Amino acid sequence: MSRNSIVFGFGLAVALFSGWVLFPRALYVNQHQPIEFRHKIHAEKSGITDCAQCHVFRDDGEFAGLPSNDTCAGCHSDRIGTSPAEAKLVESYIKPGHEVPWLVYSRQPANVWFSHSIHVKRAGLNCTDCHGNLGESDQMHLYQVNRISGYSRDIWGHSMSRLGRVPGDGMKMGDCEDCHRRHGVEVGCLGCHQ
Amino acid sequence: MKVTRRDLFVWGAGAAAGLVFTPVPWKLLDDVSIWTQNWPWIPQPPRGPVEVKQSFCSLCPQGCALKVKTAGGWPVGIAGTSTNPLTRGALCPLAFGAHQLNWHPQRVRTVRHNGVPSSWSDARAAFAKACSEGPVVIIDGQPGRAASTVLASFAEKHNGSYRVEMSPETRALMPFESWTGVSAFSLGYDLENAYTIVSFGAPLLDGWGVPGRFTRLWAERAAGRSDPQLRLIQIEDSLSHTASRAWKWVNIRPGSESAMAAGLARALIEEKLVSARGPMPVITISAAASQSGISESALGELARTIVARPPVLAIASNHNPEIAALNVVLGAVGAHGGVVRRSKRTGKYIPAEAQIPNARAVLIDSSVPWDFAPDSNAEIFRFVAWDGGLQKCDWLLPAAGFLEELTDIPNAPTSAVETYAIAPQLSKPQFEIQSAAQFLVSVDPTLPTVEKVIHSRCEELFHQRAGTVYGQEVTGVAKFDSAQKLEAELEKASTWVGDPPPPGELRCELREWPPTMIAESSQNWASTWNAPVLPPLATKLYRESSLREAPGRRTV
Repeated sequence: MSRNSIVFGFGLAVALFSGWVLFPRALYVNQHQPIEFRHKIHAEKSGITDCAQCHVFRDDGEFAGLPSNDTCAGCHSDRIGTSPAEAKLVESYIKPGHEVPWLVYSRQPANVWFSHSIHVKRAGLNCTDCHGNLGESDQMHLYQVNRISGYSRDIWGHSMSRLGRVPGDGMKMGDCEDCHRRHGVEVGCLGCHQ
Repeated sequence: MKVTRRDLFVWGAGAAAGLVFTPVPWKLLDDVSIWTQNWPWIPQPPRGPVEVKQSFCSLCPQGCALKVKTAGGWPVGIAGTSTNPLTRGALCPLAFGAHQLNWHPQRVRTVRHNGVPSSWSDARAAFAKACSEGPVVIIDGQPGRAASTVLASFAEKHNGSYRVEMSPETRALMPFESWTGVSAFSLGYDLENAYTIVSFGAPLLDGWGVPGRFTRLWAERAAGRSDPQLRLIQIEDSLSHTASRAWKWVNIRPGSESAMAAGLARALIEEKLVSARGPMPVITISAAASQSGISESALGELARTIVARPPVLAIASNHNPEIAALNVVLGAVGAHGGVVRRSKRTGKYIPAEAQIPNARAVLIDSSVPWDFAPDSNAEIFRFVAWDGGLQKCDWLLPAAGFLEELTDIPNAPTSAVETYAIAPQLSKPQFEIQSAAQFLVSVDPTLPTVEKVIHSRCEELFHQRAGTVYGQEVTGVAKFDSAQKLEAELEKASTWVGDPPPPGELRCELREWPPTMIAESSQNWASTWNAPVLPPLATKLYRESSLREAPGRRTV
């Protein structure tokens, strides 16, 4: 093997290592949710079986998004358990009346309009089709924020190559388009962008 | 081992080749493009509850009904209101992106006097001084609003003159004003009952009138049918959007619309295809055919085609007495499917283009299109939300942008029925603005405010006990208990629609065929209302306007 091939291969290897290993670590910053929340415990202990019990649809059909303090206060107006997370929820947020500043894995740019109502009620999609099995998770996974774009890693998906993704892993425009194509639903630019 | 310069180049080449097979270039490209959306000077709506509210667009006189999505109180998305009986869910591409206009770089943010920043108090003092020194001309672009009443009252009280810059649709109705004695602002087209529409370059499918009205009719009765229920014959010098979709396109020479209309009228009368109700045009059929570039036989055939399926209505793209006279010959004035009187109001207006002799000052309302320039040496006070450039004025005064003020929405220019709606303010202004009406009230506090005029309009509607209110429910005005309840319903962006006018309300006297005038060039919809600036969302859509096709094709 010639000297040039070895040097070339070395450069190639450094770039591949940097691109696939170092770059993702440098690109994302780990952040922690303000409170450790466990979907699984809520499902098991309080018998919540349907996402819509907390992530409600309003009377006008619009999706209310993350539950507000009022929803949590339905059970946690005072401490009912012994966990430090619940203590923080009650003492730092519910009693002072501050909404919990959750880090939203699926937050999209402001120019994107997404109707949960249309997708869930009309198209019949399951929550897991886009959000994965978040509802069965024992703890919230690490929130990784992109240093450049400011959005969660969950939007791109956990695999940098975007190959072999499972449902709920990735919420890029292409993912929306793929799903629409599969279901034969055509929307123009203004269907999602406003 | 010595590292040579060649090694560095080869290593670099290897690294570059390797990078292509990593996510670095593609991911960076994606992230940087998203990053550019979040630059600090790009307005970001606050995090807050997402709500859908109702209002009306006041950018042009058509007043389309809007469904406005707000986030934390900021409008972030616009869609049409499908339940509105007039606009039927359709909007023009400009309205779809209008919520972006309030943050446009060319937004007028401060009072400017000859290009230099000034203050509202200076502007007020200068205008008051001008009023005391001589007559003032006030120009309005959307007459019939509550603000228009304030403007007209000021002009009347201060020996000034109130004038109106008319839309092309209203200008097309102007000839009927002199023949019927009814204001062009009280006339409309009964498109719903017409079976044949002859359009002389009017962009019926591309921005003419209320966007949803004709496009819906055409989609329901004509689109894709070889023998449509509604025949649209487009007489135009180019294959426009409307011409390409019309049942028949007649290609004529540019500027020969008047000759064509006169030739058709003559053919109709000579061949006794209509009972002659109007005077005979001076032009001969051969001369008309020669001027418009079609054969005599084609002109005769066209005349027979036009009357084959009555009622027939001819529509001009702008002021054109000969096309209006063709309607008289066709018996379309005051008839079902023709030109109808929608309102008993008699107010006539002086056109803004009229000479302005000896005026001390000219005040231009923000509803006047930016490209209007008064023919006067007077001191000009211009209210605008956006500076479109290339217009000179002494005072540039920041007016309300999109949905930044309460206003009312009177009839759309071509509507066959009277309508009234109230557009609530949905966006808080980011800096000190005033409407022309507020400015005049501050100069003369004895004038009524816009709110008061709206109250009295609602009381008037209530006491008439006529018409229907279209909102979440359809309710007759007679069912409202009080004027306050009617006003409260209208403030929720419902629309009052008057009863259809009885036939025969309009009598037209045309003794002589009108003299030939040089036709103004036909206008496409992008030029019928010239936006001073465009929102990013509309820039491409506005020019291409493919959004305004039939509802079945609309993807929004």
